[in-house]
Amino acid sequence: MTQTDGGKPLLDCRGLEITFNPGVADARKALDGLDFMLAEREFAVAIGSNGAGKSTLLNAIAGSVSLDRGTIRLGDRDLTRLAPYRRAGLITRVFQDPMSGTAAGMTIEENLALAEQRGRRRGFRAHLNPSRRDRYRDLLRTLSLGLEDRLTTQVALLSGGQRQALSLLMALISKPRLLLLDEHTAALDPRTADIVMQATLDAVRQTDVATIMITHNMRHAIETGTRLVMMDAGRVVYDVSGAEKNSLTPEALVERFKIDNDRMRLNG
Amino acid sequence: MDILTAFFNLVPITFAQSLVYSFLVLGIMIPFRIIGFPDLTSEGAFPLGGCVCAAFLVAGWHPLAATGMAIVAGALAGATTAFINLRFRINPLLAGILVFTALYSINLRILGRSNVALFNIDSVFDMISPNLITSVPLQIACFAVVLGAVWVLLRWLLSTEIGAAIRLIGVNPDLAPSLGISLWTCTIGGLALANASTAFGGALIVQLQGYADIGMGLGILINGLASLVIGETIVGRKTVTRQLLAPVIGAAVYYQLVSLGLSLGLHPSDLKLATAIFVLLALGLPALRGGAIQHERLRV
Ligand SMILES: Nc1ncnc2c1ncn2[C@@H]1O[C@H](COP(=O)(O)OP(=O)(O)OP(=O)(O)O)[C@@H](O)[C@H]1O
Ligand SMILES: [Mg+2]
Repeated sequence: MTQTDGGKPLLDCRGLEITFNPGVADARKALDGLDFMLAEREFAVAIGSNGAGKSTLLNAIAGSVSLDRGTIRLGDRDLTRLAPYRRAGLITRVFQDPMSGTAAGMTIEENLALAEQRGRRRGFRAHLNPSRRDRYRDLLRTLSLGLEDRLTTQVALLSGGQRQALSLLMALISKPRLLLLDEHTAALDPRTADIVMQATLDAVRQTDVATIMITHNMRHAIETGTRLVMMDAGRVVYDVSGAEKNSLTPEALVERFKIDNDRMRLNG
Repeated sequence: MDILTAFFNLVPITFAQSLVYSFLVLGIMIPFRIIGFPDLTSEGAFPLGGCVCAAFLVAGWHPLAATGMAIVAGALAGATTAFINLRFRINPLLAGILVFTALYSINLRILGRSNVALFNIDSVFDMISPNLITSVPLQIACFAVVLGAVWVLLRWLLSTEIGAAIRLIGVNPDLAPSLGISLWTCTIGGLALANASTAFGGALIVQLQGYADIGMGLGILINGLASLVIGETIVGRKTVTRQLLAPVIGAAVYYQLVSLGLSLGLHPSDLKLATAIFVLLALGLPALRGGAIQHERLRV
């Protein structure tokens, strides 16, 4: 089940190094020589204390921050110097903030159409047509949020949970090879968070897309995914999958968390 | 009574002119409202279109080719403003000021002197009909057809995949990379398109009036904004179609208002002050009314 099985990994990050504000007194390495691999169909859950570098890792993979050192490959493509918008066809994301994953001033169908065209060459074809609308309606129906009847509603009028569920659909509609989720249920109320998380698990299972999900929720970390990765100070400090992951308890995980935090304080 | 008669007599010719100015107002609306880029380039792109067209006509070029060159020049001006903003991270307003200031010198170079008469040179209008310059109904029909064609083209473009990507830049630029949309391509392309329209308006005005003048752009931006604001007040901006209609309807109303003001005795040199105050009131009133502003912001 781990990245070493079956030859080359899908995602291959080597020696990633990023220092924000270099040369300044409080300069610190957000990523410190991090190596990380992910196999096809693998679902990794990333945890770690605040400032451990989890978001920075996803940002580096998506290209929204640039690396000081290291290489990132996906399949047989070297992404290291590829502009973020060119990676969008391969890698999609859902962010914590429901506002940032959707275009508020456009309608639901327009948002889905924009997402569907990512990674393809945009042309002078009609942005929307009846067959696209039918497809979007079917997709929205899978969420069971009643959005299938509201294709022409402005996204600004949706609730945070509805927007986040839409973001998830938008992330998957272009059939990416890698899905990145950065605490994408953290801004929602518990009930909505559960709905969005369930939709996520269903979608990931159906599409088999390789996924990295960041969470601070220990229950989610234990119950979801095929692999668990703990980060600290810009490195991976703990990495389990398979039977070992399945036998983890929240208590054991919290225990490890404390140890890592303590060590970080000792070293700092 | 005489005053009003004078105004009514001018209504058709003013309407014909406002159809041509619609290209300018469209060229202002696209960056401001669709791309979310407050672009001031048109202050220089409008006379640029006029000067380039005049220079090529004087050099003996075919009127259509001269007009085409004006359109290309306008597109280049818009692309330059976008490039300055993107590459050097210079504020859009300042990037526009840099370009239209530079264009003043460039326009003077192109024209050779501060104004050029085109009286004995064939224009695009002479090609359509020799009577066009003297027949106002013919002008209106001709301009309406050309404007209608450009309008339909723009409406179609905005409904394509490329058009949707350009509209996204105006609504949520931060989202663009994750949707595989290049901010550079869309901003440069959008501003080029907008200023091509503006320069086309400049080229038409020059051929209609029969002369080009280096000062023809002075304050043109504020006239265009005033037209846009009027148009948006009348038809709103809820849909792309309405947003595209606003410049045309706004220009028609604005230039009639100007004509009315002038026949009521407004001094031509006070016109810019009057227009500036009008735009200030139109844009500022919602702020005074409080809550309205946030509502507006959503759809910038
Ligand atoms: N754009 C930035 N500019 C400067 N410093 C940054 C920036 N982004 C992240 N950092 C710093 O890099 C380090 C890692 O941050 P990162 O956001 O990756 O942590 P995280 O693991 O996602 O934490 P959290 O769980 O709080 O989201 C932190 O010290 C943070 O302050
Ligand atoms: Mg984070």
